[in-house]
Amino acid sequence: MNPQLTDDAVAALPLHAGRAELLEEIMQTPVLDDRPLATPDTRRRRGWLAPVAAAAAVAVLAGGTAWWAGARGPDPETAPPVAGGGPATAGAPADAYRAVLDAEGWRVEDVYDDAKQDTGDIGYSKDGASLEVDWYPAAGYDSRYDDRRHITDPPSDGSPVDLLGLPSSMWAYSADDHTVIRPVENGHFLEVRGSGLTEQQYVALLGQLRLVDADGFEAALPEGYVTTSERRGQIDEMLDGIAQVAKPLLPAGMDRSSITSDQTDPYHLGADVTGQVACAWVGQFAEATRAGDEFAAQRAVGVMETSYRWPVLKQMDARGDWPEWIWSMADEMTAGQVPPGWRQSCAD
Amino acid sequence: MSSGREDDFRRLYAAHFDAVLGFAIRRTDRPEDAADATAETFLVAWRRLAHVPAGADQRPWLYGVARRVLANQRRGDRRRSSLGDRLRRELATAMPDTSDEVVQRADVTAAMRRLSARDQEVLELHLWEGLEPREIAEVLGITTTVVRPRLSRARARLRELLGNDPVPPGHPPSRRPQLTRKEQP
Repeated sequence: MNPQLTDDAVAALPLHAGRAELLEEIMQTPVLDDRPLATPDTRRRRGWLAPVAAAAAVAVLAGGTAWWAGARGPDPETAPPVAGGGPATAGAPADAYRAVLDAEGWRVEDVYDDAKQDTGDIGYSKDGASLEVDWYPAAGYDSRYDDRRHITDPPSDGSPVDLLGLPSSMWAYSADDHTVIRPVENGHFLEVRGSGLTEQQYVALLGQLRLVDADGFEAALPEGYVTTSERRGQIDEMLDGIAQVAKPLLPAGMDRSSITSDQTDPYHLGADVTGQVACAWVGQFAEATRAGDEFAAQRAVGVMETSYRWPVLKQMDARGDWPEWIWSMADEMTAGQVPPGWRQSCAD
Repeated sequence: MSSGREDDFRRLYAAHFDAVLGFAIRRTDRPEDAADATAETFLVAWRRLAHVPAGADQRPWLYGVARRVLANQRRGDRRRSSLGDRLRRELATAMPDTSDEVVQRADVTAAMRRLSARDQEVLELHLWEGLEPREIAEVLGITTTVVRPRLSRARARLRELLGNDPVPPGHPPSRRPQLTRKEQP
């Protein structure tokens, strides 16, 4: 096993001749193709024929079977434009673009559902193996697909897999690490990555995925996750806890109803809520500092210093580093500094 | 072949050779595999120079290429590069068996190996390469909003494995300015 050297240690290795020689060797190779990767021709080579059936079952088909055009590609006159982000037709309801796993023993590890950015993921695990389902808006399909094509050398369209009724593409990062991209359907596409699973196990698991709409997604979450009907109450509960120590809770002119979230995972819900409260105060501090308003600046510092006692952050501290970020901003403000990069971080 | 193209590539190579080679060394078992991955990565960059982004985005782009090259190696269908023979030999001789100048403690490395592949990957990019969520997203081809919670969870899981021992920040991986922001959600 190579030692995990730092880049500085690597730079100190006596490799000068080999380094220089490689540079010259590379520059002597012909530049074969420097066109943009995602040309229409490239994408069309993917060459799907029409899906045979819209059954949800997954079936990996041996290379060269009837509907997989393989190297030759389909008749362009008859093939539907599935690849390249074109509309696909498995017949799923328009709002059923998320997918959940119905497999015994698999446990939900994390959930992230960002309605604003129209993206999210749900991760499952069992006995050291993991399966992650991501959904994205259609606009990102081409670049994602193109990126995954380069998992192989030379770039390839992967192995054909039927995922949830649509002909999809599978690539292997390693013998037990695979990913599948499902074409766009109803404005979204799916990527499913399985780690710690053989190809056979992975493909079998893909067959136990199910497309769901927002309600179906919430229904599939285990206890402890926050449903739409519970969310406002949970947010208010978190704000009440913060308001016990932070006085006032929010800067003047800002109402608690403006604090919102779409998250189902309590951790991410807490991050949304505390992030919005903290960013409001950091914003006031930055503005007050710029304007020389000492009173407003001190009020912001005072509230942020209470963040070490916000109950929701104390609960979140065991699970992740979000509280550390809030507290580090509080420390900066106590030291009289506007936290560097706060505007970008708060915008993210 | 324009000299402008060669000049651009020389600058790219000089600025990122150590980082790309370090990236490969930290993820391979043998020095020659790291040398091959580095040669392949820069060969891709040479051929696709027009697509290499400018400025601070260059390194994540190169890491993204190197990641795919290494995936090919692991799948076993790599071809021995015809380039970089001397680098391969020099690296095999120069590589120390052990070193104090490593990116993290051995117990942290051992704990990371017990995490899932995706948790390992995001943590390695954060702790070893010092990338922030935005850059990790670039390397992995996913969005920043997905990286953030993933990184947070991965760190939490690593901390559990280490018995609540704080995850060390990692050795600064390069002489470039440390990119990691304080925010580590």
